[in-house]
Amino acid sequence: MKILIFFVFIFQISCVNADEIYNLLKIPNLEIYKLKNNNNIRYLSAKGNFKIGINKNITCEEVNINNLNTKFPLIEKNLNRYNSNFLNKIKLKYVVFCENLFISEINTGGIPDIKNRTLILDINFNKKYFERMIHHEIFHMIQNTHIKYFDEDKFSSFNHASFNYAECSTCSNRLNLDQYEKTDGFLTEYSKSIPSEDMAEIFSFLMTDKETIEVKINNDKILSKKVNYIKLNLAKIDKNIL
Amino acid sequence: MIKTIRASKSEKILFIFLICLSIFAFTSFFLLKNKCLFVEKNNLSNLYFNEPNNIAVMNVECGNVIIELYPDISPKTVERFKILIEKKMYDGSAFYKVSENTFVQAGDIEYGNINNLDYSKIGSGNSGLGLLKSELNNDFKFTEGSVGFARTTEFDTEDSEFFITLKEIPIYQGEYTPIGKVVYGLDILTKIKTGNKAIYVLRPDYIKTFRLLNSN
Repeated sequence: MKILIFFVFIFQISCVNADEIYNLLKIPNLEIYKLKNNNNIRYLSAKGNFKIGINKNITCEEVNINNLNTKFPLIEKNLNRYNSNFLNKIKLKYVVFCENLFISEINTGGIPDIKNRTLILDINFNKKYFERMIHHEIFHMIQNTHIKYFDEDKFSSFNHASFNYAECSTCSNRLNLDQYEKTDGFLTEYSKSIPSEDMAEIFSFLMTDKETIEVKINNDKILSKKVNYIKLNLAKIDKNIL
Repeated sequence: MIKTIRASKSEKILFIFLICLSIFAFTSFFLLKNKCLFVEKNNLSNLYFNEPNNIAVMNVECGNVIIELYPDISPKTVERFKILIEKKMYDGSAFYKVSENTFVQAGDIEYGNINNLDYSKIGSGNSGLGLLKSELNNDFKFTEGSVGFARTTEFDTEDSEFFITLKEIPIYQGEYTPIGKVVYGLDILTKIKTGNKAIYVLRPDYIKTFRLLNSN
């Protein structure tokens, strides 16, 4: 048995690239993109493909630096809306840029990881939803660090009694991110997947298109309750975020 | 009568060249194998320190690495570090995690001692003294030769493992508790065995002794 463990150990260590960033974040093939920022976010980029997570189910590819240079100002503008105090509270310190991010073979825009205080972003994510996606993923970090403020049962109770969310965010075909003309309690089709995605969608719209949401809630009582719930509980963390 | 055949001038030069070459090859084979050959040993009797109470001497294969400790920056951590040194718990501790020209890490008391290495658990051992709270300092720069207390991915999990940077690592600033800086012998640390492209080292180098200067 000891010999077996020994060989497994040798096999595992031979696959890991040794460097100081890996030592800190447990993500291989990263390099520093930008370290000094007003809100203390540290930006890193993938200099090679990487696979992480349980059974290496998260994969992402090397970043094209010209592509990143083009998109970075927009990303930075959006992330600069969060101050360092708030980012500390939601445990976000590192943003990792890569291309073609997949989790369990499903393409995704971002993966938050509060344990390592990291948000992985796919810079090739659909341009149309890109800014919203950033705030959407930020909300997941907010919720994961403040579970008591964003109770999913309470939030679900705002819906019609006949409505049921799916079992998980990828277990349904409710994936469209376009905003509904007639909201009826949900801003997008993806909002109907699970409560946390519904909350994240509301937050992302509040961050990117607040005026439209303020108009929509005048004619949508369910959405109005949901928006107020998000606003009320966000204010308990930071009064100036929205 | 047998005539003596004299070597020509060019033959003599070639002969001398071959002798020189063989001497060079012979000495290279034996001397260059010694990785510590050109490393300064740092004789303690020739060195002067302003605060000898905060000087620790780590003896490894190639000589003494002299570290100045910073109790003003991280009082609890330096106190723990001194206790571990005084109890001689670092003696025999393996540099099991080494990234070439980047950092070396040692100090797993439970599973990382050279006399009792457990490759399946190394890096997860305890000293038995309990976990410490991180003493982070946003102004301390992890320049070449900085000594920091290692932790798991979570803060407040420091115990006994420490690392020494072999180059400036800006990303560590505010992330790890600073312990001190190497004042002499950084080149000795660059000779410590690396794991090639892997972060963990098989059959690692180790700390022979680790003492506070005033206890010598």
